[in-house]
Amino acid sequence: MIEISNLTVRFGGVTPIDGVSLTFPGGTCGLIGPNGAGKTTLFNVLSGFVSPASGSVLAFGDDLLAMPHYRRARWGLRRTFQTERAIEALSVFDNVAMVHEHTGGRRSRRRQEVLEAIELVGLEVSPDELVGTLGTRERRLVEIARAVVGEPRVVLLDEPAAGLPEEETEHLSHMIRRIPEERGALVILVEHDMSLVSACCELTSVLDFGHLIASGPTPEVLRNEHVRRAYLGTEEEL
Amino acid sequence: MPDLRPYLVLGLALGGVFAVSGVGMVVLYRATGVLNLAYGAIGALGSLIAWSMINVFLLPDWLSYVVAVVFGGVASLLYGLLVGPPLARRDPLVKAVGTLGFLLILLGIMDWVWTDKAHALILPTTQWGFQLGEVTVNVTQILAVGLAVATTAVTEVFLRVTRLGTAMRALANDREITATLGVPVRRVEAAAWLGSGLIAGATGLLLSTLVGLDAVTLTFLVIAALSAALVARLQSLVVTLVAGFVIGILQSLVTPFSLVSSYRSITPFVVAIVALLWFARRRPVVLS
Amino acid sequence: MGASSVPSHLRAPGRSPSRGGTQSRTIARGAGVVAFLGLVLLGVPALRNAYWELVLLTSAIYTIVALSLALLLGRVGMISLGQVALLAIGGWIALRLGFATSMPFLLVVLATGLITSVLGTLIGLPALRLSGLHLALITLMFAAAITLLLEATQFPNGGSGFLGHSVLTTAPSTLRRPGFASSDAAYYRLVVVVTALMFLLTIVHIRSRPGRAWAAIRQSEAAALAAGVNVTLYKLWALALASFMTGVAGGLLAASGGGLTVYQFPTQNSIILLAVTLMGGIVSLWGPVVAGLLFEALPALLRMWGLPSDLLTILFGIGVLQVQLTAAAGLASQVPKDLANLVRLASTLIRGRTGHQEHLG
Repeated sequence: MIEISNLTVRFGGVTPIDGVSLTFPGGTCGLIGPNGAGKTTLFNVLSGFVSPASGSVLAFGDDLLAMPHYRRARWGLRRTFQTERAIEALSVFDNVAMVHEHTGGRRSRRRQEVLEAIELVGLEVSPDELVGTLGTRERRLVEIARAVVGEPRVVLLDEPAAGLPEEETEHLSHMIRRIPEERGALVILVEHDMSLVSACCELTSVLDFGHLIASGPTPEVLRNEHVRRAYLGTEEEL
Repeated sequence: MPDLRPYLVLGLALGGVFAVSGVGMVVLYRATGVLNLAYGAIGALGSLIAWSMINVFLLPDWLSYVVAVVFGGVASLLYGLLVGPPLARRDPLVKAVGTLGFLLILLGIMDWVWTDKAHALILPTTQWGFQLGEVTVNVTQILAVGLAVATTAVTEVFLRVTRLGTAMRALANDREITATLGVPVRRVEAAAWLGSGLIAGATGLLLSTLVGLDAVTLTFLVIAALSAALVARLQSLVVTLVAGFVIGILQSLVTPFSLVSSYRSITPFVVAIVALLWFARRRPVVLS
Repeated sequence: MGASSVPSHLRAPGRSPSRGGTQSRTIARGAGVVAFLGLVLLGVPALRNAYWELVLLTSAIYTIVALSLALLLGRVGMISLGQVALLAIGGWIALRLGFATSMPFLLVVLATGLITSVLGTLIGLPALRLSGLHLALITLMFAAAITLLLEATQFPNGGSGFLGHSVLTTAPSTLRRPGFASSDAAYYRLVVVVTALMFLLTIVHIRSRPGRAWAAIRQSEAAALAAGVNVTLYKLWALALASFMTGVAGGLLAASGGGLTVYQFPTQNSIILLAVTLMGGIVSLWGPVVAGLLFEALPALLRMWGLPSDLLTILFGIGVLQVQLTAAAGLASQVPKDLANLVRLASTLIRGRTGHQEHLG
């Protein structure tokens, strides 16, 4: 469970996150909101690229903000990026193995756990292929494999379906649901594709302009009129 | 305590040249994203050509000086036209490394044609001077200071008031958007290359007089001018001007103190290193 | 956690069909390296040409320096224009140790490498936040500053005091060669062996954990951090390794010729080194070998033919521009590709001649 209390982030004259208090209890949680709502900033706070002006983040009881960024991965925090960043110069195996070896994975179990992660995401290329030769879909899957290898505790997925065709969404939703089941990790999914969010996430929270405007079971949240207004923008006053 | 005043004057003059070079480099960087490390080499080659015109071909002095300045502009423009467009979208490091290639080409030409024999080019303005209190000041030194102040002032006004200048400022801000606004990007960049090249030619002449006409020395003296530009974070012309003077004065004032005197030419580099580190101190992780 | 649920095509990487081809390529590459080393170690001294032995051993020394630069730039993405300055510092340290102690040669070289490694890491530490243009500038400043500093302090020549330089003596600043390698031919072989060891050291790093971390850092520091890589630590490790190798090269240089002088380390050499390293290529490990030859052997060749070596400076300048303009991978990567293309073209032409309807190109 992740508890975020009164988080505020300020830089360059804007306040991307303003006094947000939010709990991610477990399983797969969705985080949605229009562009610029602060979702990626929240991920950046969690992974340590951005320091908040105030507030606290407790993950499974540990103070996440007290850890330097590269240590959080060892703690068990993993993330993917909006623009995929699998390392082109390395093979699929090495990409995933690198995360394993830098997050305290035991060498004796490395080969097995890396191959398990590759299988979990449904990647069907040879692990010795250089990532530079793969297409976008495969690179995304490599990134997700990196996020699930070993013993992750929290997996942050940042728009994994972006730019992928409809058929992929089904495969992605199967795979994402397997992560809490088979890995025991808490998944937070940022997405614009609502069908993917409905299919995977039991609970969803909604950000708009740095504020939390709704949080609860996914079907209810998606029907909520404030959420609709935030996305579509109606004429009505709040 | 030795009399520092003559050194102050020398420092002002040297600083003036650093400042002018710095301003030339900053304007070019702002308009094109290119930090021209061959700046000093261009000036040096121009001065060597002037030297040959005067001493080998026995042409009139004033003509040779004009050719030196014009050569600076032309060489710079040619580089900008040939190498500028293909590298336009690359990051500043790639563009700067390109100018290092240009530097090598120019240095090679200078070493080949003029070898490392000693040459001297003294502007006639050095012969005219006057007494300022107890210190002798010659016109070349005044020219250096005056040129620095004038160039900075004129360039600032130019950038703010004229259409071409405004276009250059827009380019510095965002090349793509400026192009879509109908600004003739290539022509504006060409103007920046030409202008900064003319300044390079002029500073080459001044430096030859103040410091000596040696291809290698002049080429790498650009690094001192670069220090002034770096203190200004490659942005503000006025800060470049002030920084140039300060660096020149600091370096010169150290001269009479024998303990550190032989290390005085390191001054600009130390300033640059400190500036670079200072401005980087709160750099966040680059997410791009 | 189903351990036995790993599908068969993933169970044994390294033994799938596509690997067979790469394995034979690796063997061929290994054979090529061995043949090259044999030629270099045995073939050159057999020519009994002292001039060329000196040129080629200096070439090997600069190959080590180019290797350090290729490591930093090509593998980690950190540009450094200060490697020649570090080479000079290494030479200085080696000389100081040589005159102040009676340590055997190899120990002096090793100590020089270690001290230079510490110095390089300390100096580079504050600059770790910099990248791209700013890193290039600060290392260039460092290089120019060291050149000026050396003009003032000179190289140790047996004098007293910390600087170890005495203006009263005309003793050259040379490090004494080891007894078992005092002749030019023997010293040449020693230098080649040390160079090969440096390559080995680099390869060991690249093929294991630091190499993978460096590949990640080079592409995206953010991704590396998110993967748990301690970016600062691995950058320092790269700096330490590069500085160590350059320091060793400095020690070797100190014993190579008639004594080190500041004229051997002008600021433009830092730029020329960058030029030849880019031209040789920063990806392939043969690149630094080409770079060393360009830096030292090519000018020697021109001098032998009576041509001015300034022409090379111009050539290197054009080379830098060409690499920047075409984002080329360098001669070491390009020439084999070009040769392979040439061979393919030739074989297609030949087949075409014998009556096959082949599409050319």
